[in-house]
Amino acid sequence: MRRDRRFFAGLVGVAAVVSYLIYTGISDTMVYYLTPAELLARVELSPETRDQGVKVSGMLVPGSYANSTDELLHTFVVEDPDDTSVRMAVEFRHPLPDTFDDSGEVEVEVVMQGRYRPDGVFEATEVLTKCGSRYEAMPEMPQQAGAGAGYGGLIG
Amino acid sequence: MIPALGEFALWIALPISIWGCVLAFLGGRWNRGDLVLSAERSTYAITILFVIASIGIITAFMRDQFQYWYVYNYSSTNLHPFFKFAGLWAGQRGSLLFWGLNLSLFSSLAVWMNRSRNRDLMPYMNGVLLAFIGFFISISLFVTPPFEQLGFTPADGRGLNPQLQNYWMTIHPPTMYVGFTSFNVPFAFAISALMVGRLDARWIQATRKWILTSWFFLTLAIIFGMRWAYEELGWGGFWFWDPVENASLLPWLVATAFLHSVMIQESRGMLKVWNMGLVLLTFLMTIFATFLTRSGLIESVHSFAQNLTIAWIFLGCMGITGAVCLVLIVWRYPVLVSERQFESALSRESAFLLNNLVLLGAAFAVIWGTMFPLLTEGLTGSKVAVGPPFFNQVNIPIGLILLALMGIGPVIAWRKASARNLKKNFLLPVAVFVSTAAVLFSAGVRHPYALLTFSIGAFVLTIIVVEFWKGTRARARIERENAFTAFVHLVRRNRRRWGGYIVHVGVVVMFMGFAGSAFNREVRQSMVPGDSVAVDSPFGHEYVLTYQGLSTTLVPSMRQAIALFSVEKDGVPAGSITTQRQLNLAVSPPQPISEVGIRSTFVEDLYLILATVDDEVLLGSNEPEFQRATFQFQINPLVPWIWYGGLVIAAGALIGLWPGAGVPTRTSRLGSGSQRRDTSTPAPTPRSDAAATLG
Repeated sequence: MRRDRRFFAGLVGVAAVVSYLIYTGISDTMVYYLTPAELLARVELSPETRDQGVKVSGMLVPGSYANSTDELLHTFVVEDPDDTSVRMAVEFRHPLPDTFDDSGEVEVEVVMQGRYRPDGVFEATEVLTKCGSRYEAMPEMPQQAGAGAGYGGLIG
Repeated sequence: MIPALGEFALWIALPISIWGCVLAFLGGRWNRGDLVLSAERSTYAITILFVIASIGIITAFMRDQFQYWYVYNYSSTNLHPFFKFAGLWAGQRGSLLFWGLNLSLFSSLAVWMNRSRNRDLMPYMNGVLLAFIGFFISISLFVTPPFEQLGFTPADGRGLNPQLQNYWMTIHPPTMYVGFTSFNVPFAFAISALMVGRLDARWIQATRKWILTSWFFLTLAIIFGMRWAYEELGWGGFWFWDPVENASLLPWLVATAFLHSVMIQESRGMLKVWNMGLVLLTFLMTIFATFLTRSGLIESVHSFAQNLTIAWIFLGCMGITGAVCLVLIVWRYPVLVSERQFESALSRESAFLLNNLVLLGAAFAVIWGTMFPLLTEGLTGSKVAVGPPFFNQVNIPIGLILLALMGIGPVIAWRKASARNLKKNFLLPVAVFVSTAAVLFSAGVRHPYALLTFSIGAFVLTIIVVEFWKGTRARARIERENAFTAFVHLVRRNRRRWGGYIVHVGVVVMFMGFAGSAFNREVRQSMVPGDSVAVDSPFGHEYVLTYQGLSTTLVPSMRQAIALFSVEKDGVPAGSITTQRQLNLAVSPPQPISEVGIRSTFVEDLYLILATVDDEVLLGSNEPEFQRATFQFQINPLVPWIWYGGLVIAAGALIGLWPGAGVPTRTSRLGSGSQRRDTSTPAPTPRSDAAATLG
């Protein structure tokens, strides 16, 4: 019995620590994952949510991409997958994923993490693209905000 | 012709696997040696058939037989033969067949190695293996047929995804499959031991090397994947906490827990249920990983096709296997009681148990973070995302605890540590810990996690070095050998123990490499030829990079824009570095790929990304007005240490795996007492005698 009690005390102790880490981890880092239409509706309803980080997934509007070689700045427009009348401009200041393609020959879904600015532009810190139609095994490409995210910034 | 033969081979293999599986179980139940032998021959036969099927697929790739759907989608006439060969595992359809091939090869190997050993366990063990082999044959025949034909022959294939045309990506998947499939053998042994009711140390001895083997391959596969991400994904990181990466980490974490807790069972006869559970859980995790990778249910960097049929099949397989495991454990619970009890919280048993709980806690956190978005959406309907910040926040403290335990576990006494034991073993390491922290702090390192990683790392390294030194010195004195001979003999006498220490050294080095990312430097700049940029490294070096220009070339099926930089390090010319942006023309529409430039030194990488070029450049223009481009320059400190650490880990694991002395399986039959073969190793103190039994 003594053995069991020790064993379970250890088990409960470690479980408590891990649960605490998971709980605080989730509540500190979790972001909502929305479509552009949901994001706009949310910001309109409660403007104070504007500064919260959020993940948005939209369809890339063909031909909307522009870049500047003077500074590292990509701009493009995404539209809501369900309601194509809802569009949102995006700015991104890091290298784009390779599969980013606005030629319109393939449908590209863009998953972005960032913040919706008061001027109506989404400032992305991370951009992922998904284009399923070209390959069966098309990998999605993460693009990081440099050292600040991902494992590159493991303890950053 | 040959591919058709390959498909035919698969069709024959299916009934043989069913037949063999039934015979194996019946033979075991009725004690009929002839049936058991027949079942084992089925395993050999299926292996040959799998080899024929695989040769069929490779031939279809090599001969550009695009009438096959799989070849058409993953190859093209101008693909390098190396990648055509790798086509066997490039896509889902081939890789599941490749999985079956590996599984049958390992099954045959296990059956052959045990042809005159463990005969009471073998029938059921072979039966379990054949059941899984049959499962994979069925998938390759009915769900994802690699030999499916299009009905016409296209002139050319669609080409292999250029991102997969990378050396690391070619060896990463097969290494992972080898790690996963080889774990089927210990699982089958465990199930067989439960069914027969022979739950002494024997099944553990029979499987220990197998588990270490699959652990070795899993470790390598994870490191290869990191290397691929670092070189090919082009964002300067090596781990994204992506669901597929997490999936590969889960079985690794549980297998690591087992490799440690099994030592408590061998030396102390405790934790039998626990160890059994860990072996079964590791195997379930390999199926879970396959489910996560193939289902596409969760967003991922390198997910395979979204194929829900496959997802449900693997989920069902996991459910059934899990239920069977649970029933067997409950049924045999009375036989699995411990021989001894825990005596003190300050003991090696406790340290190992804590290590186990923490490893499992890490695994749970990873599962939770990976599945949380799916669960939330299912339960509340709102979509959320949990990303790298979560995993880093949770796993870094856990990793640091594990790092510290890596030093404490091997030298704290069994049963109950005395104050003398603690003082003797920990005085110097703790002093090193404190002084490392003090030195780093005064050198300006303020990042708490980085400080802790380096200081705890130094603590662990000190303990390991002292252990090696004490062992060598004692052996040199007793055997009258010189230090070098004594060292070599020491390691050879107990390969698992000393190999394990070497693995720990590798892990410490690797953790320090991870910690280096706390000091990453990053500069983004738009440049025209002649411009220079200066980047400071945290080690005090200054790199000055001068942009020499951009040139475009057209190689078959690819247009490359190559930017050339000359590098000056601390004012001294240090060669040149290139970074590329390519446009793969073999696929439609053409796909851009970036090739990063990496200049590696012992302590840091200079990492260079060509972020944007003018579109005209990729269309082939070499005009001067289009030479302006934007670049991202990174200094990634200590990243090379991750790869060095990986090499050390591999070396340590190989020492532990090497056949020969220090492997008790040959001579010993049963009982934990037989593990004490190592008593010939000089034992200066009773404590190191206990440590020697770890071998």
